[in-house]
Amino acid sequence: MMLSAHPFNDLAGWIEQIAVLPALYRLGLMRWSELSFGWTLVALYGVFQMFLCYAICIPLERRFPIERWQTRKPVMVDLLYTAIARIGILPIATFVLFYALQTQIDGFLADRGYAPPMLETIFPPLFGHPILTFLIYALILDFVDYWRHRLSHRSGAWYALHAVHHAQRQMTVWSDDRNHILDEIIGFVWFMAIGLVIGIPPLQFPILVLALSFVESFSHANIRLGFGRIGDRLLVSPRFHRGHHGLLAAGAKSINYGAVFPFWDILFQTADFATDFPPTGDVSAPEAMASGGYLAQQWAGLRHVLKVLRS
Amino acid sequence: MNTGLPRRAVFAALAPAAVALTAPRFAVASAAPPIAIVMDSGGASVSIIDMTTRRVLRQEPTLREPSHWALTPDRRQLLITDASGNAIFFFDPINGRELGHKLIPDPYQLWYSPDGRYLVVNALRLNHIDVYHAEGLTLAKRFRTGSMPSHLSFSPNSRVMFNSLQGANALLSFDLTDLTERWRAPVGSTPAGVMWHNGIVLVAVMGSNHVAMVDPRDGRVRRRIITDKGPHNLFLTPNRAYIVVTNRVAGSLSVLDARTLSVVRQIPMPGGPDDLCFAPDGKLWIALRFASAVAVFDPVTGAIDRIPVGRSPHGIYISTLLTDAPALAAMRLA
Repeated sequence: MMLSAHPFNDLAGWIEQIAVLPALYRLGLMRWSELSFGWTLVALYGVFQMFLCYAICIPLERRFPIERWQTRKPVMVDLLYTAIARIGILPIATFVLFYALQTQIDGFLADRGYAPPMLETIFPPLFGHPILTFLIYALILDFVDYWRHRLSHRSGAWYALHAVHHAQRQMTVWSDDRNHILDEIIGFVWFMAIGLVIGIPPLQFPILVLALSFVESFSHANIRLGFGRIGDRLLVSPRFHRGHHGLLAAGAKSINYGAVFPFWDILFQTADFATDFPPTGDVSAPEAMASGGYLAQQWAGLRHVLKVLRS
Repeated sequence: MNTGLPRRAVFAALAPAAVALTAPRFAVASAAPPIAIVMDSGGASVSIIDMTTRRVLRQEPTLREPSHWALTPDRRQLLITDASGNAIFFFDPINGRELGHKLIPDPYQLWYSPDGRYLVVNALRLNHIDVYHAEGLTLAKRFRTGSMPSHLSFSPNSRVMFNSLQGANALLSFDLTDLTERWRAPVGSTPAGVMWHNGIVLVAVMGSNHVAMVDPRDGRVRRRIITDKGPHNLFLTPNRAYIVVTNRVAGSLSVLDARTLSVVRQIPMPGGPDDLCFAPDGKLWIALRFASAVAVFDPVTGAIDRIPVGRSPHGIYISTLLTDAPALAAMRLA
C-alpha cells in the first residue's frame, strides 16, 4: 500500500471493502453500510491504541514497576476488557442499542426547531479552527467526565457498579477499561445528553484522539512514574491516578477523579499530590470482582448493586 | 451546571434551527479555471481541486460531515449538506469560496425540484424529509417517513417526488402539488440512488445486485437489471446515451445503455466509488469513499489518475456543470 496522508482512513477503507461490506451484504445488513466505515475506523484506532500501550507501557512496567506479582491472571482479564472496549465491540453494541432512542430524541427536538449546536455555532470565531475546537471539546468533556466520575463515587448504587473498576489489586495499563457494562452504559447516556447541548467534537484528528486515550490508559500503568511538581498538575500521571485507586480512597471519599487533566481536581479541591503509589483495590468489594473472570466480575457487580439498592 | 460558556451564546444556539451565521452572497461569474469540489465527509472539509492541474488548491472547513450538494436554480450558489453538523453550507460554485451556512437538522441528501419551487432535504439519521420553499428556505412541510430516507428524484414536471428509504426497503412517492404522500412500495433490500428516466423510476438496490425499474404510477417493480454487488447510485451521461451505476460492495461501475437499460460495460473501480461527475473532456471524476482520493477515469483508454483529497470523499461537484459544454457529446463509455 502506498504512503497516504490518511493512513488510518485508507487502511479502514481497505478492511471495509474486503471484509465489512461483503459481510454486511451477505447478512442483509447493508442499511448499516453508511455507518460501518466509522465503526471500522473506531476498531482500527482501538487496535492501534492497544499496540501503543503494549509497545510503550509494557517495557516501562517491566523496568520500573510499582509492584511485582506472582501471578498475572487478573491482568489477563483486564486485557479482555480492553479488547472489548477498544476494538469497538462495546461502543458498537451500545451504539446499536441506543441508536433508535437517540434518533427519537433528536427527531423530537428537531420537530420543535432545535438542532443540537456545536461549539463553533455557539462561539462562531471557532469555526475554521478545528484543532482548537477539538482541544476545547476535550477540556469540556474532561470536565463533564470529572463530574460523572465523582458522582459515581457519591452514589451508593452507582459506586457498587464502579467498584468493578476499583476492585483490581493488580492495576496495569490494561485496567482503564475494566468497567461494569451498566457503568459503561451510564457513561454513554451521560455523554449522549451532553452531545445534545454542545454537539459532537470534530473527530478528524486521530493523533489527538489517540493521545488523549493513551493518557487515560497510561495513568493506570504499573509504573513508578510522576511528571514532576508542575507536570503532575498539567496531565494525569500514573502517580496521580494511583492515588485515586488507593485502598484508602475507594468509595465515597476518593481523590484525583480527573481522567486527563488534574485541573478539575485542583479547582474543586479533590486533588491529592501527596499520596505516593499506594496499594490499590477496594476491600469492601466482593472478592469475585477482584479475582474472578470477566463474567464473574460482571455478575458480582450486578449482585452488589442489587444488594445496595435493597439495603 | 456551569459549562464555562457565555450564557448569551448558549441561548442563541438554543434558538430555532434556522440561524444563518453568515448571510450568503451570490457568486460572481468569472473566467475562473474549472474546479472540482469534493465533500470530505470524514474530514469536516471540502477539497477544492484545480481540474486542469489536478492538484488540490485548498480545503475549506465545514462543521462535521459534508456529504452531498445541489446547485440553486439560478446556479449562483452551491449548497453542500453537513448532516452531523446540522447545517447546509453555501459555496461559490465558480471559485469554491464558502459564503456562509444555515442550521438545518440532519441534511444528508438534497435537490431542487426541476421548477425551482422547492428544495427537498432528506434526513437519513432523523428519519424525515423536509420540503423547503426554495425562496427563503422556509419549511413548507416535514414528512416523518420512517427509516433512513436516502436519495431522491423528481418527475420532470415537478409534480411528483420519489425518495428511497434505506432502512424500510421501500420507495416513497409524494405529490408536490399538495404535499401529500402518494404511495409507499417495497423495491428491494436497502434502496439508495433514485433516478427518473424516460417515464420510469430507476432505483439502485444496494442490498442486492440490481437496479429496480419502478412504475411511477404505483411503485411496482417492473424489471430488475443486474449490475454488480451493492449498486449505490445512478448517473445519466450528459449526452443521455448511458447511465453509470456505482456498485459499492463490488467496487465497480456498470454502464447501462440508456435506451435499452442493458449493461454494456463493467469497469473495476476499487476504493468505494460513490458520487461522480462527467467532465467536458469525457472523463469521469469519481469520489472514492474508502481511498481518500478522487479517481479521474478515462473511459477510452481505461486509465485512472488518482488525486489525493481529504478523508472519506463522498459527494463531488465540478464547475464545468455551470456551462453546457459542447464536448459532452464525445462521451464514449461503451
